[in-house]
Amino acid sequence: MSNDNRTGAILSRRGLLLTGAAATGALVIGFWMPQRAQPPIATPEGAAWAVEPATDEVNAWVVVAPDETVTVRIAQTELGQGVWTSNAMMVCEELQCDWSKVRPQYASANRDAKEMAPPWTLNVMGNGANDPAGGGEPQFGTRDRTGLAGIPDSLYRRMRTNAAASVKDGRYYLQLAGAEARERLLLAAAKTWNVPVEEVSSANGIITHGPSGRTTTYGKVAALAAQTPHPNPAQIRIKPPSEWTLMGTEQKNLDVPSKVTGKAVYGIDVHLPGMKWAAVKSCPVYGGKVKAYDFERIRSEPGVISAIQFPIPDPVLIRGRIFGGGVAVIADSWYQAKTAIEKMPIEWDVPPENAARNTANIRAALMVSLDQPGKVGVNVGDCDSAFRSGARIIEATYSVPYLPRARMEPGNATVLVTDDRVDIWIGDQSPQETRRSAAMITGIPETNVYLHMCHLGGGYGRNGNGPQAEQAIYIANLNRGTPIHLLWTREEDFVNTTYRSIGVAKLRAALDRDGWPIAMEVRTATDEQAPGATAGFDVAARYFAPNYRFSTHSGRFHIPVGTRRGVGAPAQHFYRESFMDELARAVGKDPYLYRRELISRTSLPYKADMIEALDIAAEMSGWGTPLPQGTARAIGLEERGAEDGGHATISAQVHTVALSKQGKVRLMCVDVAHDEGFGLVNPLTVKKQIEGQITWFYNDAMHQECNVTEGRIAQSNFDTFSLSRIDEDPPEINIRFFKTGHWLDGMGHDRGTSIPSGIADAVFQITGKRYRDLPLRNHDLTWS
Amino acid sequence: MALELTVNGVRHSVDVAPETPLLWVVRDQLRLTGTKFSCGIAQCGACTLHIDGRPVRSCSVPISAAAGKSVTTIEGLSPDGTHPVQLAWMELDVPQCGYCQSGMIMSVVALLERHPNPTDAEIDAEVTNACRCSTYHRIRQAIRVAAASISAGGRTL
Repeated sequence: MSNDNRTGAILSRRGLLLTGAAATGALVIGFWMPQRAQPPIATPEGAAWAVEPATDEVNAWVVVAPDETVTVRIAQTELGQGVWTSNAMMVCEELQCDWSKVRPQYASANRDAKEMAPPWTLNVMGNGANDPAGGGEPQFGTRDRTGLAGIPDSLYRRMRTNAAASVKDGRYYLQLAGAEARERLLLAAAKTWNVPVEEVSSANGIITHGPSGRTTTYGKVAALAAQTPHPNPAQIRIKPPSEWTLMGTEQKNLDVPSKVTGKAVYGIDVHLPGMKWAAVKSCPVYGGKVKAYDFERIRSEPGVISAIQFPIPDPVLIRGRIFGGGVAVIADSWYQAKTAIEKMPIEWDVPPENAARNTANIRAALMVSLDQPGKVGVNVGDCDSAFRSGARIIEATYSVPYLPRARMEPGNATVLVTDDRVDIWIGDQSPQETRRSAAMITGIPETNVYLHMCHLGGGYGRNGNGPQAEQAIYIANLNRGTPIHLLWTREEDFVNTTYRSIGVAKLRAALDRDGWPIAMEVRTATDEQAPGATAGFDVAARYFAPNYRFSTHSGRFHIPVGTRRGVGAPAQHFYRESFMDELARAVGKDPYLYRRELISRTSLPYKADMIEALDIAAEMSGWGTPLPQGTARAIGLEERGAEDGGHATISAQVHTVALSKQGKVRLMCVDVAHDEGFGLVNPLTVKKQIEGQITWFYNDAMHQECNVTEGRIAQSNFDTFSLSRIDEDPPEINIRFFKTGHWLDGMGHDRGTSIPSGIADAVFQITGKRYRDLPLRNHDLTWS
Repeated sequence: MALELTVNGVRHSVDVAPETPLLWVVRDQLRLTGTKFSCGIAQCGACTLHIDGRPVRSCSVPISAAAGKSVTTIEGLSPDGTHPVQLAWMELDVPQCGYCQSGMIMSVVALLERHPNPTDAEIDAEVTNACRCSTYHRIRQAIRVAAASISAGGRTL
């Protein structure tokens, strides 16, 4: 093998700078060619990718081995949100196996390219989001072969991990998968014993024949079950929450033991025989590309093999987002590649209009757009005449910066392209899209693309983001036969990510003599490509005004914008909740009771839940009781889906904030009242998600911003882009759940979105100064 | 030039440029990938391991500085994942994405060596690793559990 690698290395050197030329077929001669779905390396302990089971599967989600180990295939990606465990819980609730024997494993995206979904996964049962016995109302309900516009009808349906929708969209068919497997295991046992299936039942993986008391196990009948089709899968029912025994209980996450021992395999940890490393530099001004580079200057650096120029990744493959073109240096080790590329002169070809952009002119353009007509999303009543008659007009303008996710694991992917097959090791939130990218870039059909999924070192909304996979596939395709592990530096991770759009908003209210709004007008502006621009204000006002108008405005900029945790909601909740605080304080009313009254005046379908959330959070916090000087409480509503009667997640938080006279903020306590809908799958994971998002949004409130300078993002690492540490985590977090009459709309985001407005209002209470743009660290928070 | 160091009790001789960061020797040469790369500038602490029992950010320590010394990584903390800090991390179900947790655990082990019953201020001052999932709330609880376990006779490093 070492000889072949040397050949590959020599050919790569020769292929240097030939950006369009694929390496020759000679390169793969003698290289071990993997033929099966199995990844072409041994699977290390802690790796989670799909492997061929030794025992026939019962169905595509469930494999029971003779030793009673139950493999559950997981089609979403674990990035800290607990899907590794909650997806398995949904299957195992119905399967009734021994939970201690459950071993999750990623589903094969390659099989997904070859097999169609079982028909019983295709139709949601029941009556939508308000039917506890039904399958809910999946967000991505439409079928779409590519998985972009909806869920594909391929084997694993939705493999994307986004929109906090893994439970919402997958629950019914994951429960069905567990139930189908259980019923076939029972059929197999009944067949073995020659008794009617109605006489057998199972619990904890043990099957019992009631009349005779005989028992067997899932492991003993699994092989027969694999050969026993279900006679009538359309008749399978799933358990409603009232019958759950596993779902709804706190289960520790099954990946945790591997994550406290260093054994969990992330994409960055993958190592293949003969593998070479790639470090890259992409044009820091989006839309720019390489004009020239001088490989001769680094050719003799230790370990260096070659350099490859890559074009701007095809926007068609990455949801239209335009990054930069760049250069990769390939070397024996990544540190060698990174050291060399930093010494290599690179000249960029940058579109001048992009290089002329900076934060100030982008924000100014958005501010101008606010005064232009915009796109009217809601227009109830007659705002204009109401404003003319209002006793008092209050207006406020808010702004938020560009923000990246800054996940801890820098972008990476390991790719091996041979003449008829692509293998990719990656942590990826959209394997179906990456599979398509691989096929488009290499010309090798999707059915020959194998993604070996790894856990992700954080996601926070990065689905479908590119272009780590696209860059790596491009480079590996020019080095066929040699596995290429591409890894971004932290600085490249800042260059190659999408950002939450910069945003501005102008909110106006006309108040009657008692201080209640008679009209409210909301104008928000973002990059026109930014998703989520209507969150929190669309369909109907969350806080009542008889005349209500909401319009979105935009500009078109070159910074690629995408789905950062919560998408549009964190900015819009900041605008909305800040404005509610401002109105209440302007008219001398209690911000909790002011919100409560305005919600009660609406006809929103979940207004009782919203009021309950506020009431519980206020009560938990001791709302209204005295606090020491320099400490204040603020309340906020957080909602996703409150407007239309479908899936929703409603919560309220009270933030108790201390502010020193020197201007040091400390979030002392967060009291959380949280909707559990008909039931939470894993309440422990939900608590962890709430806790984590509190400090996530503390970061947004206090520290984080990215600025644009000469067309590039000015921040590039954690020295200039601050991350909160443990000293900023609130000493006290109290969480109380309350039941409601709908299925939830997810937990991975939209919690803690009231922290920015809460801290801003606490600062106002303590200092008398109202700040309307984030982060707050840019402002003078001192007081005396 | 070959350099000698001991990692998790095993002596190794590595032939790399002396300025190569210890992190990359541990990950690439020795294939101990539990120690993570994230920022590369000693800011975040994902790469924390111990040299002679002291926590360092290995992305910014040249291998020459570890020559002849004893390095402990997350893989060497315990043979079976039962160090009191690891057990506390499992009891509290601390990790989310988990990427920072190797470094976090190594920092906490070092904290507890110096301060067996740390105050909040000592925790704040010495556990300066970044966790983007913000698992800090459970980390603080888990530190308390680990400290209690160690003081009750649980094993230390």
